[in-house]
Amino acid sequence: MNGNLFKMEIRRNSFSLILWTIVIAVLITLTMSVYRTFIENQSKVMGMFSLIPKEVMQFKGISNFNDLLSVLGFYAVNNVIYMMVLGSIYAIVLSSNILLKEEYNKTAEYLLTRPLTRSEIFFSKFSVLLVNVFILNAVTTLAGLISIELVKNNPFSLKAFFILSLFTFLLNFLFGAAGLFLSTIVKRPKPVTIFSIGLVLILYFVYTISKITDSVSNIGYLSPFKFVNLDVTNPSYGVDLLNLLYFTGISLLLIFLSYRLYLRRDIYT
Amino acid sequence: MNDPIIEAGNLSKYYGKARGIESVNLEIGEGEIFGFIGPNGAGKSTTIRILMNLIFPTSGSARIMGLDVIRQTKEIKQKVGYIPSDANAYSRMDVNEFLNYCLRFYKVRNGSSRISELSGMFELDLKRKIADLSMGNRKKVSIIQSLIHNPRLLIMDEPTTGLDPLMQSVFFELLRSENLKGTTIFFSSHILSEVQFLCKRVAIIKEGKIIQIEDIGNLRKKQLKRIFIEFGEPVSPENISIPGAENLNIGPGNALSFFYSGDINELVRSLSGKKLNNLMIEEPSLDEIFMHYYKI
Repeated sequence: MNGNLFKMEIRRNSFSLILWTIVIAVLITLTMSVYRTFIENQSKVMGMFSLIPKEVMQFKGISNFNDLLSVLGFYAVNNVIYMMVLGSIYAIVLSSNILLKEEYNKTAEYLLTRPLTRSEIFFSKFSVLLVNVFILNAVTTLAGLISIELVKNNPFSLKAFFILSLFTFLLNFLFGAAGLFLSTIVKRPKPVTIFSIGLVLILYFVYTISKITDSVSNIGYLSPFKFVNLDVTNPSYGVDLLNLLYFTGISLLLIFLSYRLYLRRDIYT
Repeated sequence: MNDPIIEAGNLSKYYGKARGIESVNLEIGEGEIFGFIGPNGAGKSTTIRILMNLIFPTSGSARIMGLDVIRQTKEIKQKVGYIPSDANAYSRMDVNEFLNYCLRFYKVRNGSSRISELSGMFELDLKRKIADLSMGNRKKVSIIQSLIHNPRLLIMDEPTTGLDPLMQSVFFELLRSENLKGTTIFFSSHILSEVQFLCKRVAIIKEGKIIQIEDIGNLRKKQLKRIFIEFGEPVSPENISIPGAENLNIGPGNALSFFYSGDINELVRSLSGKKLNNLMIEEPSLDEIFMHYYKI
């Protein structure tokens, strides 16, 4: 890794990190702020929810109304949209551009002609991705924790909260690794932002379709969202080793492939 | 020739089935100012980009300072300065920020004073945002970043594009002084006159192949010009006789154009006594030179 390049990339990406972190943190805080009202008007809301088809509820990530009654269940359902989907979009947009932007912005001929190996460039950029995704997750998790503490009416499992946060980070990071891989297989130096965002949304859609349609429930396994257990109200909720292996294994594989491809990539501007 | 600082052996690059370069062999001695000339698309940038390890050769090998351009690229780049033909610096930075960022990659002393010296020479405002710079000023930034670490070898791909004539002469002066200090210069261009002006030896590349490596003195002897004359009276092949004129074309009207590689004084003498409305002496295009001398 090269410190000069790392510092420059951190600075270069700081604005978007701050912006995305603030947006996600604010959305979580705002959503959690309605929890008290939601609980106080439980019966009315329940009546309203009974009018909504089960499939629509499931599409929104609500499999059981009772899940919403616990503060952690309420947080988990909303966390899917904000931290998992938006966080993954942030990670994949950052990673799919972090190497490729040097080519389509025509700065590669300055960077790659410095006394650096391709490995140093790759790992400097990769470290920036890792640090940024970690900061985004750390701050938004903290925002979530503070919000829960402020609105809770009953104790909740801190262990479950942190396990959910860990898997949210791993999911975001997996999309980060996918973005890196994507940027090393494209031939032409053009932004792949739209495709990257599309990939996250399609995989989220696949996951929700698999949840509401029993006949196609198996297609959910195509989506990484499936491997984050949201059943935080379950007393036996814990770290699922298979899911952990899935996230770390696929992420490491994608990073390794991206690295090997980048070492032999022809750089055009 | 001194010990070779650049050696390329049977270097080839294909983009799918399309030819980039084919069996390029080069040997450039330490301390030389070596020209690399050819029309656009001939393979100049491809060769340079392989030397800088931006792209990988399909076959063949290249060494700089005895080091392999792929495996030992980091060591090589400590001692090489590079001016790309078409590149952007980071647009959100100002010039000073960008040059200092570049500088921090090298182990050099007095880098900041070198930046001040070079920016003064090119009258470049260090406080300006790169995004606001004109093409010529961006080229100045590119030149300065290539020299801040006092490289032993300078590789340049069309370095004068965008520079005004005054800055071109400052640039050539700087290159000469760097060369006197021992820097080897590999100068790629499609403009024959600037290569002739600066270089001592030149490789001519066309359609991916090096067709000639010559001393610049020999090339000078072949100084080909395109002449255009508009006479004040009708002309015909019978009443015109210009020794050394080739590819003579008459028309439109009373105009005459041809290639001429002899002494210009002889030409002027042969035209004395004739009524001329216009006389133009132009540099022929590289393609015309190649067609003329190398019949390719």
